[in-house]
Amino acid sequence: MSTTTTTGAGAAITRPDTTTRPPARTGRVLANELREELLAVIREPTTLFFTVAMPVGFFAMFVGLWGTEPEGTTNVAAMMLATFGAFGVIGVALMTPGIGVAEDRERGWLRVKRVSATPLPVTIAAKVLACMPHALGVVGAMSLLALVLAEPGISTVAWLRVLMVLVLGSLPFALVGLAVGFLASPNAATAVLMALYIPSSVASGLWMPLDMLPDALARLAPALPTYHLGQLAVSQLEGRAGLEHAAALLAFAVVAAGGAALAYRRASP
Amino acid sequence: MDAVLELDGVTHRYGATVALDTVDLRVMPGECVALLGPNGAGKTTLTSLVTGLLSPRSGRIVVAGGDPARAATRARLGVVQQRVGWPRTLTVAEVVHGAAVRAGASRLHVEPALAEVGLAELRRRRAAKLSGGQQQRLQLAMALVASPTLLVLDEPTTGLDAATRRDFWTTLATRRDRGSGVLLATHQLDEAAAVADRVVVLAHGRVVAVDTPNGLTSRLADRIVSARTCLDVANLTNLPGVLDLDATDGRLRASTTQPERLVRHLLDHDPSLGDLRVEAVGLEHAVLHLTEGAQTPDGTTPVDRARPRPTTEVHA
Ligand SMILES: Nc1ncnc2c1ncn2[C@@H]1O[C@H](COP(=O)(O)OP(=O)(O)OP(=O)(O)O)[C@@H](O)[C@H]1O
Ligand SMILES: [Mg+2]
Repeated sequence: MSTTTTTGAGAAITRPDTTTRPPARTGRVLANELREELLAVIREPTTLFFTVAMPVGFFAMFVGLWGTEPEGTTNVAAMMLATFGAFGVIGVALMTPGIGVAEDRERGWLRVKRVSATPLPVTIAAKVLACMPHALGVVGAMSLLALVLAEPGISTVAWLRVLMVLVLGSLPFALVGLAVGFLASPNAATAVLMALYIPSSVASGLWMPLDMLPDALARLAPALPTYHLGQLAVSQLEGRAGLEHAAALLAFAVVAAGGAALAYRRASP
Repeated sequence: MDAVLELDGVTHRYGATVALDTVDLRVMPGECVALLGPNGAGKTTLTSLVTGLLSPRSGRIVVAGGDPARAATRARLGVVQQRVGWPRTLTVAEVVHGAAVRAGASRLHVEPALAEVGLAELRRRRAAKLSGGQQQRLQLAMALVASPTLLVLDEPTTGLDAATRRDFWTTLATRRDRGSGVLLATHQLDEAAAVADRVVVLAHGRVVAVDTPNGLTSRLADRIVSARTCLDVANLTNLPGVLDLDATDGRLRASTTQPERLVRHLLDHDPSLGDLRVEAVGLEHAVLHLTEGAQTPDGTTPVDRARPRPTTEVHA
């Protein structure tokens, strides 16, 4: 990859063949896609603000109201950090890349990308990875609020484990967002994704504990990937790995990736 | 020499609409093939198939030796599309840099490509803020940055001013000398006549003619005869071979398949005849003639709308 580190016009003359080989190229393409997504966040930070502000606002409200009540072995504020954290990162992952891609498509920029030599997995991977700063922002802001408004009483290790599973566990949801974004207009994509997001979050016990929900709804929860991410985060608080939830999310990721690839191929040019 | 583009029996449908019907086409290195035809003829569908945006229902497409559905094949393509858009957050230079990276070319090619299309000074401008013609040039810079084997251009000069248009064709000639083949879909028939080695005429998804621009125009027996005359043009419509007649300010303009007949008549009957000219019809006329047989969905033929009406009824 020495060709990428050379700068200055003189280098071009001494190195006429500057075409890189495929494996190196794939890495460079992915790096460039990520760079472009990050530039978008830096240059238009308002998108970051809106995706972060809504779930963090809800969290502040709920923690302010109930965050200091004791409950079982785990502190309520800590529980809320796990479940509202899941709610926050799922929102980011569902909405940000999906609506972004729907906008790119409507604008005609996706057509440019599609005739370029970007392999489909790279396009999808870049879009999915690019929502990580947003996801980190959501969990970071919620953690700060929890510290200020309540006493979450969790160890740094437990907190890091929650952070890690939330950020990684949100990625499959981005694939669902992309599948919708490849097929629908920006407005329709927003509507469809919201319609998936809010009900499944509530039904998964991300807003209030499952035992406060009607029985039928609570029984439905294990069928939802949103439930498994919430439970995976809660497991970390309790020092468990939560492998069954991780496995459920992995299966969900495989299905969602297939859906996203199919949707991309069907996207109108 | 291997063709840089080969289409064999390519068919594409959108639902019930047959947009392309068993099309064969070849482009050789350095060759420019123009794709002509009325709106809806299938030009954009064809370029979309070649660039991998669509896959054909049947038939075979080979681009630079590969399948356009594969990313590695598309790395050897340079594309200017009829309609594209830009992200709000990227600059001109960043957009071209991205194109270079995706095609596996060095970033060192970015600045020369920008200079080649005259965008060097706007390199820091946001791409979405460019004027229409500048955006067209930006697409060209992206298409050129990796020295493509085949350039696919869908109405690339629409919206360009005269000077930019000239620069555009100069740039393209340089690239063709270096071996890039060009597939050009256009409505600018004067440009097609000037730059294309061969012309492919499409009508309702079918290839109706493949020829050199000169070959196409000379296929038609039609000639345009024009002169200053004091004769009553109404009497000329009865002459054999006369198709259209038009007289304004004492100047006759007639299209005829028997120019000798008309010229002899004029010379015999008008001693004061002046400024006599006989010309071949242009490529525009030839294309209209070739596509006129094909009925459009609204029941008219393209030629009904585009060809000047004979004015003889008015004079009679
Ligand atoms: N996405 C689509 N869905 C349905 N029909 C389509 C679609 N795109 C094109 N068509 C139809 O296919 C035919 C060919 O269209 P195409 O865009 O290829 O024509 P064109 O030669 O590029 O026309 P123009 O000169 O107006 O650009 C037309 O009848 C058009 O209406
Ligand atoms: Mg078109």
